[in-house]
Order: sequence, then structure tokens, then C-alpha cells
Amino acid sequence: MTTAASGSGVARFAPVLLFAPCAFAYAVFFIWPQASLLAMSATEKAGFTLAQYERFFVDSYYWEMLGRTLWLGFAVTAITLLLGVPTAYLLARSQSRWASFLLLLTTFPLLVSAVVRSFGWMVLFFRDGLLSRTLLALGIVNHPVQTMYTMTGVIIALAQVLLPLMILTLHGVFKSIDRDLEYAAMSLGARPSVALGLVTFRLASGGIVAGSLLVFSLAISAFATPSLVGGARANVMATAIYEQAVELLDWPFAAALATILLVVVLAVSLAYGALLEGRADKEASR
Amino acid sequence: MTISLRSPLGIAMLVLTALAFGYLLLPILVVVAAPLGDTGYLAFPPQGLTLKWYAAALHDTRYLTALLVSLRIAVISAIIACALGVSAAYALTRFDFPGRRLLEAVFLSPLILPTLVLAVGLTLFFTRTGLLAGPWKLVAGHVIVCTPYVLRVSLPVLRRFDRSLEEAARNLGASPVAAFFLVVLPVVRPGIVAGTVLAFITSFDEVVLALFLAEPGAPTLPVTIYSAVQLGFEPSVAAVSGLLVLATLGFMLLYHLLGSVGRSRN
Repeated sequence: MTTAASGSGVARFAPVLLFAPCAFAYAVFFIWPQASLLAMSATEKAGFTLAQYERFFVDSYYWEMLGRTLWLGFAVTAITLLLGVPTAYLLARSQSRWASFLLLLTTFPLLVSAVVRSFGWMVLFFRDGLLSRTLLALGIVNHPVQTMYTMTGVIIALAQVLLPLMILTLHGVFKSIDRDLEYAAMSLGARPSVALGLVTFRLASGGIVAGSLLVFSLAISAFATPSLVGGARANVMATAIYEQAVELLDWPFAAALATILLVVVLAVSLAYGALLEGRADKEASR
Repeated sequence: MTISLRSPLGIAMLVLTALAFGYLLLPILVVVAAPLGDTGYLAFPPQGLTLKWYAAALHDTRYLTALLVSLRIAVISAIIACALGVSAAYALTRFDFPGRRLLEAVFLSPLILPTLVLAVGLTLFFTRTGLLAGPWKLVAGHVIVCTPYVLRVSLPVLRRFDRSLEEAARNLGASPVAAFFLVVLPVVRPGIVAGTVLAFITSFDEVVLALFLAEPGAPTLPVTIYSAVQLGFEPSVAAVSGLLVLATLGFMLLYHLLGSVGRSRN
């Protein structure tokens, strides 16, 4: 097909030589460790066992933890959608030269480690912190509140950590939708809000689902923010895996928990793939 | 703008956007401003005004050592990820071979794998096999996390590259290697640089793999900050974090500026 691919034997093996280093690194440091992790979660001295998984599924404590983790994912996704959709839309449609500056400002928090950003929230969340004092001053609460070490705190902090990813994903989606379609709908008599709902958000729904699933899977596997802001009282899957592995040295159970988390994340990605495919089929059959 | 910003819908969107930016920037502002306070504890807004915590942070050898560890690991990881990612991306876009799509999916798959799961797997793996020592365990982990970013940025750039340019160079007698370095690389360089910068930042900010795989005596900067934050709220940790934020801001503006200079020159 091309000059390089035909001809000498060296050229025929060129692609193999080019991707071999990468494939080797992945085989040794990615596939092998993950396979042995899976194996460790289901073996003991006597051979195959599901004892570690049984431990998880018979104990309501772990069910609650899994539920808390999924709740974290849903809540964070909802907040990032609520703030991300209007922000991404306005930035994508704005003609102002400030728009590119604001987009740059959106990427900036992404470059700052999640540890540092969570730390900022911790300063605000303590009983005598700004959040508590603001709520007192506004009369919303009548005694100081502690947001630190609560799920509410984890949700607020983690949604901030993941919001830039939602805005950037949606910004690309809205940019790719021709604004003339909105004008067309309006010239046919649709009110602006109806045009936005029927045309733009409908066309953007695939991208909105993509952004939501990205944020959801990152939220349920995040470690730094739940660990710092939530502490032991807001235990989620990720912090439990760390606790089992590093503090209790129960590696087989940590391996089983890690596998369960991985299965949930994979299920989310597969659902996403199926959704995209279903949408493509529907478009094709039209 | 199709939607009038004076309509109720427009106003609602503006308010939510303003809230979003306030929300995004608030914790970062806190980290920079809180250590300016003259109190012995962290407060926001800060009370009094002093630079003593920032000065203390600059003289704290713990953080300086950790910064050097982080920089070294991030530079090595980014270079390896760049070499692996770009050569793989070139093979995936330039040649057609059986299993190409599967290989691409596998190479990108660490993007959806929770880092914590990768960290647990790698820790077990290194303990059992005794492979690698010192900083190289963490570098191996970071290479796996960073290579997909290099691939994701360089794959579309290489796909868009006009192949007839390369063929012209080959017809004029350039070897495949010479054609790559003289013709392909200069054109796709911005994409490769962006991917490598992304890999560097990812490694530099990463804390989970570093918690598991860093040398016990040589933690990275995010791990040092993580441990210090867990132990208590000394203003000097906040000052280190604040310096990190300011350095990141400087880095981003510089990159942006260099990028726009490069664009206007071409």
C-alpha cells in the first residue's frame, strides 16, 4: 500500500518494531500485575476460592459503602452537570475574546494537584471555617456546622476537582454544533428556550452522557479527596482499598475490593459504549 | 449568541456560570491567601499580613527534597511515555496490520482504569517479583498512566498529517528514518510537545501511585503535602501548596505565551 510497507523485510516488521517497546511495557507493568491482582483475589493456599468476595457481599457494612460510593458518583455528576452545561454553552457560543481566557482559567485547576485543591476545601470546611461562618451569618443554621469529615464535604470538594473535565468535554460538544441550527429553529417560530432544548441539547445529549460517565467513573474511583476531606467517617471504596492494603495489610481482600471497583467502572464504560452504539443505530435507521 | 442574556434563561445561565468560576477558583484562592495570615493557624480570609510562612516554606528542606524527587520522576516518566507513545502512535497511524484497533484500545485502556487499582496491582507485582528498585517502580507506574495521554494527543495529529509530504521526501531519496525526523516530526511537533507536557503534569501531580510505590525515604511532593495535611494544619504546608499553585500559574501562562508566539511565527 505504501512505499515503506512494501519492499524489504525490515520495512515489513517496522510497525512491530515501533509498537513493541510500548507493548512490552504494558505487558509487564500493566497486564501482568492486573492479572495477578485478579488471581490473588480469588485464590488461597488450597486453590480457587470466592471467600474474599463472600466477605464483601454478606456484610451490610460493605453494601452500605458501595452504596455511598455510588451516591458520591451520582451527586458529583449532578453538580458538575448543573454548573458545567451553562458554563460550557456560554463559553462555546460567546464571541468575546474573554471566552478563550475563561477557557484557559477552566483548565488551570486541572493542573493543580487534587491534594492541594482538597486542602483548600479543608480550610473552609472546619467548624470555625468560612463556610460555617457564612451559613451562620445568613441565618441558614443557628450553630456552627462541621462539613469536614462528612459526605457533603467530599461531594462539594470532589465536584470542584472534576468540574473542569465536564466543562472541557461539553465545550467541545457545543462548539461542534452549528449555531445556525438554533437560528433555523427560531426562524421557524420556536422560542429561544425551545430551540435550545429541542435542537442544541438534543444534539449534545451524546456528549453530555459521555461527560457524565467520565465524571462518574472518576468520582467513584477518586482517592485523595475522599481520604483527606472525608476521613474514616466517610469511607468509600477507594479509601477502603487503601486501608485494607496499607494499614491492615490484608492484600487478598484489598485485591477483591479493587476488582469489584474495577468491575463497576468497566460496567459504566460498557454502558457508555452500548449507549453510543444504540444512538448510532437509531440515527442510521432514520 | 442565540439566547439573549437578558432573558430569564440567559440570566440563569450567566448566574450558574459565575457560580461555576467562583466554585472552581475558591479553594485555590484559599490555598494561596491563607498562609499570608499572621495567626499561628490557617484562616480564610487571612488575618494580618505576613510573608513569614512563605519564607519558611522556601527554607524547609523536606519540601525542597520532595520537589526535586517529583521533578526527577516526572521528567523521566514524561520522556519515556513520549518515546513509547509517539512510536506506538506512528505505528498505529502509518501502517495497517491485523489487531491494530485492539492494540490501540489496549494502549488507551489505562485511562479508564482507577489509578488505585493499578497501584494495588503494581505493589503486589513488585513485592512478588522483586523487579526494579528505587525510583524506577514509581516511574514504571507513571509511564503506564502517562502514555495514554501522549497517545491521545499524538494519534489525531499523526492521522491529520499529510502523508504525501513524507512520500515526497522518500521519493527524493530520504531513508524512512530521515523522512520521519526531517519531515514528519517538525509538522507534528506541537502535538507531541503538548502530549509530553500533559504527561509531565500528570506524573508531577499524581499522588495515589506515589503513595504506594515511592521510595520510603524519598516521597514525592504531593505525598509530602498529603501526609502533612493529614497530620495537621501548619501554615507552612499551605504556603508550599500556595507556591505550587503560583508556579503552576506561571508555567501555564508561559506555555500559553510560547504557544501563541510559535503560532504567529508559522
